[in-house]
Amino acid sequence: MRIEKVLFHTRFRDLAFNALEVLLELKKAGLQEVVLTYVIPREEVAFVPYGGYLKDAAEQMEEVARLRFEQWQEFISSKGLRSKVRIETGTLNAKILAVAEEEKVDLIVTGRKKRSAFEKVYVGSHVLDILRRSVRPVLMGKYMVQYEWAGEVLTRVNDHIFDRPLLATDWSKPSENALELIKSFKGLARKVLVVHNVGAKISKGLDVAALRALEDESQRRLDDYCGRIEEAGLSAESYLSVGKTTLEILRQSREQKATMIVMGRTGKDWFQEYWLGGVSHRVAEVSELPVLLVP
Amino acid sequence: MKRVIFVLVLYLIIVPIKWTTAHASGTEADFFKHADYAQNSRCLPAPVLAAAVPAAVDGESAAHAAVEADHGHGHANLGEVLPLWSCIPFVGMLLSIALFPLLAPEFWHHHFGKVSAFWAATLAVPFLAAFKGLALYEILHIILADYVPFIILLWSLYTVSGGILLRGTLRGTPILNTGILLIGTLLASWMGTTGAAMLLIRPFLRANAHRKNRTFMVVFFIFLVANVGGSLTPLGDPPLFLGFLHGVSFFWTLKILPHMLVVSILLLVIYFLLDTYHYRKEGVKAPDDGVKEPLKLVGTHNFIFLAGIVGSVLMSGIVDWGEVTTLGIHRALQDWVRDGLLIGMGILSMVTTSITIREGNDFTWFPILEVAYLFIGIFITMIPCLLILKAGPKGELAFLIQGVSRPVHYFWVTGALSAFLDNAPTYLTFFNTALGSFFAGMPEAEAVPLLMTEKAVYLQAISTGAVFFGAISYIGNAPNFMVRSIAEEAGTPMPSFFGYILRFSLLFLIPSFVIVTLLFF
Repeated sequence: MRIEKVLFHTRFRDLAFNALEVLLELKKAGLQEVVLTYVIPREEVAFVPYGGYLKDAAEQMEEVARLRFEQWQEFISSKGLRSKVRIETGTLNAKILAVAEEEKVDLIVTGRKKRSAFEKVYVGSHVLDILRRSVRPVLMGKYMVQYEWAGEVLTRVNDHIFDRPLLATDWSKPSENALELIKSFKGLARKVLVVHNVGAKISKGLDVAALRALEDESQRRLDDYCGRIEEAGLSAESYLSVGKTTLEILRQSREQKATMIVMGRTGKDWFQEYWLGGVSHRVAEVSELPVLLVP
Repeated sequence: MKRVIFVLVLYLIIVPIKWTTAHASGTEADFFKHADYAQNSRCLPAPVLAAAVPAAVDGESAAHAAVEADHGHGHANLGEVLPLWSCIPFVGMLLSIALFPLLAPEFWHHHFGKVSAFWAATLAVPFLAAFKGLALYEILHIILADYVPFIILLWSLYTVSGGILLRGTLRGTPILNTGILLIGTLLASWMGTTGAAMLLIRPFLRANAHRKNRTFMVVFFIFLVANVGGSLTPLGDPPLFLGFLHGVSFFWTLKILPHMLVVSILLLVIYFLLDTYHYRKEGVKAPDDGVKEPLKLVGTHNFIFLAGIVGSVLMSGIVDWGEVTTLGIHRALQDWVRDGLLIGMGILSMVTTSITIREGNDFTWFPILEVAYLFIGIFITMIPCLLILKAGPKGELAFLIQGVSRPVHYFWVTGALSAFLDNAPTYLTFFNTALGSFFAGMPEAEAVPLLMTEKAVYLQAISTGAVFFGAISYIGNAPNFMVRSIAEEAGTPMPSFFGYILRFSLLFLIPSFVIVTLLFF
């Protein structure tokens, strides 16, 4: 599994270009083409109450986006990569997923947007919705984030995101896929941190011997993962923890100075997936690091 | 822009002062009108009424009014004291809907909610200052008894029909297109004009993407599916649901069937001839791209929820489970149950329908939010207008009631206004005009059954006028602009506001309505 073609979705917010710049590091791992995508939200130009469609406004927005993308394309070209522009009007998530399908990209990159509590309850954030539904890996980019830690509000700039990726695994098929993807980061990642957490619910009812056996088995699997990563020419370290999975992944990512979190998308039934989200979505939501989810 | 805002703010300040002044320094006759009003008011909860009675009214009268409040229904007397200029916010609201989309569409698109709030406040603030508890009662009444069920019905129909998607390859021929229009016309009365339009407009556009002349197709789609087709049940078109909320029975609207058939058949025949002419002239064949997806209706379980909506509305018109009082407003228990069931149907549709189906319909909440924002302004600002009309010859709009006297007047005047103002408030305006004209002072619960039976032809004229003429312009009925927007986005050139009227409405609709007049009114 290699990342050769990327869909980069932007809303032209502050630092969007910096986020693109960071992404182009993927060239070292085989990136060849970037599909720059901008979706004009239908609500911005359509359904004018008793009016119809703002054709001129739509054309103007398209032109502005095209001009900005032209500058970005020059930059991408200067890095020796190909690029393509897709400007669409419609429902944001549906369009991003449709363009990704049409272009057969290997990775969707999109920024995150905070939404109101009500919107989160029903639809989740726009990115979480894409994470839930995409059949392709999705990177939730977070170039500059503010987050709270130990009662303090901190700001973090994620500018070398592929340097120390943390692979959080639950041994599932998506985790295997994430492992395969991370193996393609040769020449890009200095060290891969492989983490597994024995969930609090699983460890709770176990006696010491059973817990020790579980730890041994988990460590064996972690070593196997590390071995496979090292075979691909990358350096790897393993970390085993016990506790609440989301919190443990966040703790490990901070303590081991990870630069991004890579996970297989947690499999849940549709109700949990849609209304509650799985561990992977929770991590993507709360971590200050970029999160790459692999289905 | 700043100047406009300044003038609007100034107006907002001046009107309440003017109104309060007029109220405080009114003539003796005015004062007695108020006192008389307090004595004759009915249907108000005692505390509300007691608070509403002007301080100058003696205690005996106030107590009498409070006692009276527990009996009977109808409160037409406020309409006798309200000045004509109290209708200015309503006119302003409707003119905003008519003119802003034409003159400043971008401003309107981003600020229509504020415009609606402005006009609502322009009415509500001075109204509350002048009539206190009575005004509060009227505002709460129109919100709880009209606005809330109105929006809930539209929301549920919109949500459920948005979960049904027609997939597959269609090739636009005159027969197929006429068939789609016919199906849409038949469906509109049962899933709402908005629902039927949403279900069929995208397949209709896709089927005809290869055709050169598509504009007239969309215009006839607006005529038939987004308007005329919705005339048979209260679910079909918002004006009829407002009638239902005011006591018109569910199946009464079937009396409009002959009128609807005449217009529908005329328009379908004209459409077929036009389409055949263009089809032959164009000589364009559907591109054979080798991909022919079989026709498939997905999300069909939503028809169960649609049946649930029909059943809920029907139920609320049949059973009588007594009344409950909410915020001092009496409402039938079955109406609350109906609203709850409609919300339930919408939620079930949301939870059980795949998001990909809704995305296939390009489903968005925006149109329904727009309607919710705009109609709160419409409903609040129309309060004085409705009360004055209900007062009949004693109100300031007596000239209108006297001038509009025959069914043909009702049909054309309701229609002419529905064409350029939204047809829902227009319907309610003339519904009240008829009540005021024939049954002035009579409680609505008694007057409406008489209107349905003894004066049925007038109600038919109002109903058909409101529903049919909604098709005359883009602003006549809410689904019109939705269809226009979807068509333009899909690359179908649509006529301008006046182009639509001059090239299509005057040519095809008005002659049809003349025939309806000759046959029925």
